[in-house]
Amino acid sequence: MKGRSNEGPCDEREPSAVTTQAATILAALGGLANIIDIEPCTTRLRSEVRDATLVDVAALRAAGAHGVMVAGRVVQVVVGPSVDTLASEIEELM
Amino acid sequence: MRQSVLKYVRVRDYLRSLVTHELASGEAIPSERLLCERFGVSRMTVRQAVDALVVEGLLQREQGRGTFVAPAKMDLEVRLSSFGEEMRRRGMEPSSKVLATEEVAASPDIADALDLLPGEQVFYLHRVRFADGEPMAIEQSWLPVRLARGLFDDGAPASIYGELRRRGLEPDWGEDTVAATEVDAQDAKLLGLQVGKAVLRLSRRTFAGQVACVYSRSSYRADRYVLWVPLRAPKRALTPQVSGNGQAGAGSGPIPVSRRRLSCNEGPGNEGPEQ
Repeated sequence: MKGRSNEGPCDEREPSAVTTQAATILAALGGLANIIDIEPCTTRLRSEVRDATLVDVAALRAAGAHGVMVAGRVVQVVVGPSVDTLASEIEELM
Repeated sequence: MRQSVLKYVRVRDYLRSLVTHELASGEAIPSERLLCERFGVSRMTVRQAVDALVVEGLLQREQGRGTFVAPAKMDLEVRLSSFGEEMRRRGMEPSSKVLATEEVAASPDIADALDLLPGEQVFYLHRVRFADGEPMAIEQSWLPVRLARGLFDDGAPASIYGELRRRGLEPDWGEDTVAATEVDAQDAKLLGLQVGKAVLRLSRRTFAGQVACVYSRSSYRADRYVLWVPLRAPKRALTPQVSGNGQAGAGSGPIPVSRRRLSCNEGPGNEGPEQ
């Protein structure tokens, strides 16, 4: 479990697998600048992005996604019920 | 014109309520004459209303006898249980007619659904599913061979989920997509339906943890099933704090101090299509 310290930017512990996964997913969605919002949705992360061409589907699959659906500016990433844990990690990085 | 359309809707909706809340399966509906009098409409308007409910499967016409309430449709609940488990839960006896048991190379679509590469070996099972002897659905299932070795050694297994559990894989989540289509000639014969009748087509991916273990495509008779979907309000969406130069690192670098900004919007309105 990652420490939830608010005292400084330095976390003395190794980032956990889920933290790494969260960071990889954010990057593959085109980075924070490209993300309008992300909503955890039972088995999917549902994100609205500014520019869908910046989304790296292969990188999302490599990060453990079981599927990626892009429709317009909405990107859905199938991750399973761990979506809530993942969403709280993502929130930490936002 | 407009007036007669509204009348037809009034008669239809009256009948719908009568059928679902007052009459039992197999009972006759009031005569056309009675309905004409009650609503002050023509016989044609009454017939239109009755036809609509026949097409919907709420009523059945029997030549020379009249129009009767059809058996209630079953809730097709999108939950992760197998056909057999679901039918038993409802007090019905499930059975199957096996059409195929094969070991094949996964085509690209099957491979994608099972997180495999095209060409990897999968078991393929094709069955007609019955409840109390009546054909209800046709189901095609694919499983990675390496997850279920020996699956067909004793013929077709009675339960795929049962076989997975025996191998230490507990199906615990999945995704369904559902589409309404007309039944094709082949499936119509197997289901005892007229060609052109509607079926609910389910595509399901079943997972045990992070392992994609079954992909299936089923056609359920739309005259016997309605889809039941639980709903809840969307969770609040997460929004980045800085919309300017924020960059998500790829797992390296210090983790920024968390400062939360809550957003309670309902998310983008358009639902992305599946697949």
